[in-house]
Amino acid sequence: MPDTILVVVEQREGKLNRVSWETLTAGQALAADTGWALEAAVVGSGVASLADEISGKKLAKVYALESSKLEPYTPDAFAVALKQFITSKQPSLVLMPHTYQVRDFVPKLATAIERTAISDCIGYRKDGDKLLFTRQMFQGKLAADVSFTCDAPWFVTFQNGAFRSDKLEAGTSAAPVETVNVDISEGVIRNKPQEVFKEAKQAVDLTQAEIIVAVGRGIKEQKNIEMAKQLAEALGGELAASRPICDSGWLPMDRQIGSSGQTVAPKLYLALGISGAIQHIVGMKGARTIVAVNKDSEAPIFEIADYAVVGNLFDVVPPLIEEVKKAKTGG
Amino acid sequence: MLIFRQPLQGVDRPQMPADVVIVGGGPAGMACALRLSQLIDEHNAKHPESQLSKENIYVLEKAREIGQHCLSGALLDPLSMRELLPGFEKEAPLDAEVSKEAVYFLAQQGKFKLPITPPPLRDHGNYVISLNRFVKWLGGKVEETGITVFTGFAGCELLFNGTHVTGVRTDDKGVDKQNQQKSNFEPGYDLQAKMVILAEGPRGSLTKQLITTFDLRRGRNPQTYGVGVKELWEVPAGRVAPGEVIYTMGWPLTTKEYGGAWIYGGKDNIVSLGFVIALDYPDPRLDPQRVLQEFKKHPLVTRLLEGGKLIRYGAKSLPYGGWWAMPPLAGNGWMIVGDSAGFLNSARLKGIHLAIKSGMLAAETAFEALLKDDFSAVTLGAFQSKVESSWIKEELWRVRNFHQGFEGGLLPGLFHAGLQQITGGRGLYARYRNKSGPEHMKKLSELPADGGAEAHLIGPAKGDGKLTFDKLTDLYHSGTKHEEDQPAHLVIQDTNVCNTRCVKEFGSPCQNFCPANVYEMVDDASQPSGKRISLNPSNCVHCKTCDIADPYQIITWVPPEGGGGPNYDGM
Amino acid sequence: MKILVCMKQVPQKDAPLKLNETGTWIREDISYEVNEPDAYALEEALRQKEKHSGEVVVITAGPARAQQVLREALAKGADRAIHLEDNAFVGLDAYSTARAFAAAIKDETFDLIFTGLQSDDYGYAQTGVILAELMGWPHATIIMQIEKKDAGIRVKRELEAGYFQFVDMTLPAVLTIQSGINKLRYATLIGIKQAKNKPLRKVTLPEVQSAIGGNLQKIERLYVPQKTKKTEFLEGPAGEVAKKLVEKLRNEARVL
Repeated sequence: MPDTILVVVEQREGKLNRVSWETLTAGQALAADTGWALEAAVVGSGVASLADEISGKKLAKVYALESSKLEPYTPDAFAVALKQFITSKQPSLVLMPHTYQVRDFVPKLATAIERTAISDCIGYRKDGDKLLFTRQMFQGKLAADVSFTCDAPWFVTFQNGAFRSDKLEAGTSAAPVETVNVDISEGVIRNKPQEVFKEAKQAVDLTQAEIIVAVGRGIKEQKNIEMAKQLAEALGGELAASRPICDSGWLPMDRQIGSSGQTVAPKLYLALGISGAIQHIVGMKGARTIVAVNKDSEAPIFEIADYAVVGNLFDVVPPLIEEVKKAKTGG
Repeated sequence: MLIFRQPLQGVDRPQMPADVVIVGGGPAGMACALRLSQLIDEHNAKHPESQLSKENIYVLEKAREIGQHCLSGALLDPLSMRELLPGFEKEAPLDAEVSKEAVYFLAQQGKFKLPITPPPLRDHGNYVISLNRFVKWLGGKVEETGITVFTGFAGCELLFNGTHVTGVRTDDKGVDKQNQQKSNFEPGYDLQAKMVILAEGPRGSLTKQLITTFDLRRGRNPQTYGVGVKELWEVPAGRVAPGEVIYTMGWPLTTKEYGGAWIYGGKDNIVSLGFVIALDYPDPRLDPQRVLQEFKKHPLVTRLLEGGKLIRYGAKSLPYGGWWAMPPLAGNGWMIVGDSAGFLNSARLKGIHLAIKSGMLAAETAFEALLKDDFSAVTLGAFQSKVESSWIKEELWRVRNFHQGFEGGLLPGLFHAGLQQITGGRGLYARYRNKSGPEHMKKLSELPADGGAEAHLIGPAKGDGKLTFDKLTDLYHSGTKHEEDQPAHLVIQDTNVCNTRCVKEFGSPCQNFCPANVYEMVDDASQPSGKRISLNPSNCVHCKTCDIADPYQIITWVPPEGGGGPNYDGM
Repeated sequence: MKILVCMKQVPQKDAPLKLNETGTWIREDISYEVNEPDAYALEEALRQKEKHSGEVVVITAGPARAQQVLREALAKGADRAIHLEDNAFVGLDAYSTARAFAAAIKDETFDLIFTGLQSDDYGYAQTGVILAELMGWPHATIIMQIEKKDAGIRVKRELEAGYFQFVDMTLPAVLTIQSGINKLRYATLIGIKQAKNKPLRKVTLPEVQSAIGGNLQKIERLYVPQKTKKTEFLEGPAGEVAKKLVEKLRNEARVL
């Protein structure tokens, strides 16, 4: 059987989790590098339309794994369904996004077929014929290239943002879609999940934020934080701060970034009036894009910034808020 | 509003009986515990019918791990270790035996190597060690013998009953910034001890309480201190040999400051270097961490460190006062050992071997007290006699006037030192006096506005990020960490003094002499001076410099919640 | 309730990490501490014991130094400890580690097994889930809250983007516990003293070797991530800079 790469996308209540597009991009990249065929699968109940949505992309085939027992999600049902499917199809590589849900069942699935998952990868490379998957270790301090020492199927989960969904190629024609009815016997599902609900979190988890606007001493007074808050809102991000701001009580401790606060690696980190003391830097240098605004041209923060603005943040931030709002409304 | 740490009132504290509580798990405390254990084992082997138990002998160590707060150059004179554990060299973590020594007198660019190493600085036969690693190893041996070391617990108050010390109170855990109990509050224990042995290191906080309560300074010279600021570096191979020892004097200091640097070659291309400066310098604007950064700019040091990497940073005070400044060593229910008592040879710049020996002698005294079941000053006073008839006294007596000789400056000091060398320590007078360090600090009005000759030592270091560093960057490498939500442990008696008087008279020297950026004067329009004292207590590296050097003597350092502090791994 | 808490000793958060000669792991001459999420798992187990009585057992796989984690747990109130002691345990992948645990506890009857949600060194978040599959037990991950019910337990799962979910489960079960869900208790002096006399069973590698098999994945290379950063300074009047920046973020960095 020719080697295939299977991307298992994620959906909840009939909507595709958009991080799945990133995983498909990963699949396309791997397919190009290995020459293997790319296929995708959606798992759930009544997911045919989602399978159709995916079929517009450049890949060989899409499967809809169907069973009423797959809604709502339970690890037992998903593991059994995918075990059945993977055992019969024998893909070489199974790719998934590293979401909370995937973490909940992929190790179980892999173990059930005596295989393993390399999880939370940020990329891959080829070493001759061997595939090596790169992942962060020790909270980002070191990176590891990991290989499989067992037979296929090999499970890999990719970190949010490791691949770019805008690089996903569309197909020249729709890929064929096949519905596979999964057989899940009575008694397989042991957990009884209740309704999913939203709750105002007691503490903010900055490690989950994709965009962070952080303020430092340069903000001068507590009332000026409002301006940073507006920028964060315009960007759809979270507000954070360096140590002195939280020490003064201007923002709660759970907004603190740095060696005595949180360590974050968002897509975008905007440092306003932050000098870049090492205690702060270690908490955010893993951010993908760093923008720094500071009056002091020698502020150490500029050494790690991608975009640097030497200037008064009170002059720069108001027009920045306007430009961001314009860009977001399609200006 | 600054809220300072103090033991909570009206709290039910668990009571725990103890035979011996050793406060502090450094070289003195651990040597004491180990020696005591040896004596008890020997006794129990010979007297099966009257066994002594180790169950109720405790060492209290405020750091999360044994050795974590231990910092020194260091060079170990093996004399006392050979007594404590013959053959210890085979298993102790020693970096190297001292192979080469050099003493330099530095000018800004040039240097002059002393043709003869002054006798006190001759180190052949000594070992370059990491005190942290050494104490970790020694502490391991203590635990193996069955003595309990409580790590993460600070002795924060002595318990008294009239003229007796009756025990130690440990730190309250889970107290928030407002001094209120958090949901995981745990009250400190009252360890009701027959004997408390204070081994807290320089300027111990319980030792300070004891000295004040029993007026133990009477008739003594005031204790004086220096602060050592240290960096550990990894350098390219071949720069310095393991066991190579370099001392420097002179630049960047002027003749008005007392101090100098050390550079020791460890193994694996690790270099220990640091600057020690006596805390009796006249200019309040002087910044010891800055002094170290200036020192590194000298070609001798730059050549050594170029291309290397800073691994760790730390600071610690050390007692310079010598024999005449030591308090009484024992009383009803208490003894003081190690740096807490001032067991340091300021001429040789060595105290570890004395700390160990003092711990051993205290252990022998404690053992006798346990046998007699008597812990009064009469029995424990034997410690004083043991010290006076041991080589500790021989060694410290020879240098009893050494540091005081420098009260008038470098040149008089060298003169007196030379004279003392040939008079068995007597020098010009039988007993040299000294003032306390902060009494030497001059007011800003008496000093040149730009710092004069000290201009290059004034104010915070900027650092180039490669060879020299600003304080915050250096501080990061101390690994210091504390529970953030707790009251400030730098207890300032009256912050009005800071905000109104000190800011004008001395320019808030706390910002300069603290090696850890704990103290900051921030803008405050409501203050007449426009400034207000602000604290970053979780930056503290437990060096005690503030308690020592504050010109008004209104700062009392008390232990923060146990488990917090620097991480002097490898130091 | 008989609860097993799987704990791991990891390098201290700010320990300076150095690569070993082969570049496949770190040098071990650093300080270690308990994996923070596991400390929360232990705290949760101790609270459950306080509420419903029972026993808390802690287990770890690692060199001799890992015993410290068990001692601290016993000092906080755990009743028994199991130490799979061997340097080789450091190099096992999650699958092998889970198999080792399963072998070590095969004669025990736990109601619940807790792990922290992931380790601070590997960050795989797999061991607990793998263990559940090996034991044939149901599991749930990233748990914030546990409530005992007549038929089992009701747990609160954390999902992404501020969503949560309750799940009813039967016992026995495996749960991976979210960090920060409660305030960690302090060990007391009495607790530390008592810990010395609590049972600590050592299990050697040969005893569980047959259950482990080999690793299914391998770290080929461990390295310091290289960042090639070029800082672009944006100049001009504020309004222009704002425009330029937004344009760059949109088209170059593609974060908008």
